[in-house]
Amino acid sequence: MEAFDSLIYGFGIALQPGNIMYVFIGVLAGTIIGMLPGLGPISALALMIPITFSMDPASGLILMAGVYYGAIFGGSTSSILLNAPGVAGTVATSFDGYPLARQGKAGKALALAAYASFIGGTVSVIGLMLIAPSLASVAVSFGPAEYFALMVLGLTAVVSLSDKSLVKGLMAAVLGVMISIVGLDRQTGTERYTLDMLELVQGIDFLVVALGIFALGEVFAMLLAGDNGSHQRQKIGSLKLSRSEAKEIAGPVTRGSVLGFFVGVLPGAGATIASFLAYGMEKRIARDGDSFGKGNPKGVAAPESANNAACGGSFVPLLTLGVPGSGSTAVLLGALLVMGVTPGPLMLEQRPDVFWGVIASMYVGNIFLLLLNLPLIPLMARILEIPRPLLLSLIVLFCMIGVYGLKFSSFDLYLLLIFGILGLLMKLYGFPSAPLILALILGDLMEENMRRALQISNGDWMTFVNKPISLTLLIIAFLSLFLPMIIKPIRRRFAGKRQQPA
Amino acid sequence: MGRISSNQIIALIMAAFSVAYLIGAYNIPAFPIPRPIDSDLIPKVLGFSMLVLSVILFFQRDKGEERDAAAQDTEETARHRRRVIEVLVTIVAVGVYAAVLRSAGFVLASALLVGGLAWFYGFRRIFWNIGVSIGVPLALYLIMTRGMDIFLPPGILPI
Repeated sequence: MEAFDSLIYGFGIALQPGNIMYVFIGVLAGTIIGMLPGLGPISALALMIPITFSMDPASGLILMAGVYYGAIFGGSTSSILLNAPGVAGTVATSFDGYPLARQGKAGKALALAAYASFIGGTVSVIGLMLIAPSLASVAVSFGPAEYFALMVLGLTAVVSLSDKSLVKGLMAAVLGVMISIVGLDRQTGTERYTLDMLELVQGIDFLVVALGIFALGEVFAMLLAGDNGSHQRQKIGSLKLSRSEAKEIAGPVTRGSVLGFFVGVLPGAGATIASFLAYGMEKRIARDGDSFGKGNPKGVAAPESANNAACGGSFVPLLTLGVPGSGSTAVLLGALLVMGVTPGPLMLEQRPDVFWGVIASMYVGNIFLLLLNLPLIPLMARILEIPRPLLLSLIVLFCMIGVYGLKFSSFDLYLLLIFGILGLLMKLYGFPSAPLILALILGDLMEENMRRALQISNGDWMTFVNKPISLTLLIIAFLSLFLPMIIKPIRRRFAGKRQQPA
Repeated sequence: MGRISSNQIIALIMAAFSVAYLIGAYNIPAFPIPRPIDSDLIPKVLGFSMLVLSVILFFQRDKGEERDAAAQDTEETARHRRRVIEVLVTIVAVGVYAAVLRSAGFVLASALLVGGLAWFYGFRRIFWNIGVSIGVPLALYLIMTRGMDIFLPPGILPI
């Protein structure tokens, strides 16, 4: 009942005319940006930070949240129409969405994506509303040791769940922490790796790294792949779903929404993993699993509901623990800190307007997403017809503006270029970039909490294993990293044994 | 003795980087008052971790190597070279943009960047190109400087 009252309070904030406008702008901008290949939610959020500087924190976060789930949804449009996912979280959508579009059923696929996203988003907001307050009350007791362990878990989860090599994932994470400690040590004031450059004393801003690796690096990769021709207009077809189709996708959408939400809550997981898991699960349990990848509507509905649900789920650790579980929520955390709001267990008490305003705005945002996307799908699809050469050059410009707007420093633009090249090299040689960006955000916080914990324990390292929560989190972190390595050979052996009698 | 794989080259580069990083870590000055852990501990841990990971990567079997080799045969074409040149030109263009942004101004530098790159990538609709490459930076400039009070260098243009 308390949650319901608080939600009513939240609606009072979210339904203020100004905030409704921000939700609308956020969702629209996010959808458009998410559609553009190369610009995902991280770039979209990063580009929006300068706009929120002077805004009221509740309105600022409402706008950013709109951009976030708009971008996740927008990515599905380019996945379905062009087989070019604008966002990693919608890659799984393209497996069946694009074949549907090739069959002249693009409208159906887009409508499926819109309905599934709406349901996924709504389920996740309900979950967020129910779980967040209780998790926050537990998290109040967290000390530096627990926070350190939680961040280690977040990092190892991202590394272990990245589809590329574990060693390369770990190297990317170590590199991310290395970048994060450049600058003044906040506890001692000692300069580290500043190379006697004044511009590096304040450290390297995460936005420079994020835009470099995720946007500029992506442009380089697209150029190298030779993907700079313009796309032909796709026939959209009917947007209507039949009753049998709605019935068919009800199960996948429900399972995808619930799975997506819980995956989103886990630090390190997120929309991409949620969508792949939901897709894989449906493919396995469906009777017509063979038709997945050839235009099965369930193959669109499941990942779309999961990625939007994960988006809401990822707000749980962000708002209650102050720990981002993904690159996108890390950027959101950065934006909140700029606005003077520190998310964490006390946020519910200290800034209920922000907390409940955002949750209520998500309901409103989901409705906007549906209302906006269904009628505007044919119109918005035309954005994808922008000639690729022009689009790529504009993305380069947007990266430059986003970075230059930070400190108005040309030095940051050179750094952006360096990270763009790094992003390209990582992509070319199979290094996952998500561990790097998360390590970059968490690295500084991890070191700070670790040192604080050791300060409190007078340098006793056992403090991390003496506390039950911290110990549990560290064990899970260890298992998340090494369990797949142990399980794989066992599975292989079992599979070998099973094949032998045959 | 087979040829060295791309992973092994990366491993060697990262190992050299780790050594340089560790030298930097050992040169971080100690804090005058004793503390449980000083500013140099984490960099040392990171440096050694990266070194160990580089060694593991060096000895790890490179699954993509065969595919890479096959891909390289087909990629050794004029089209591939053209793509590499496109990337290199973009890198140079971004570097030049960063160098001249203050003196030339946001609108002029951005228009040249967008228009020049789009043309170089093969966009030959000249009027569209000029319109977008001038229109977008100008609109952004006006929105950011007039509407949002964000400073962008005006440069040589009287705006």
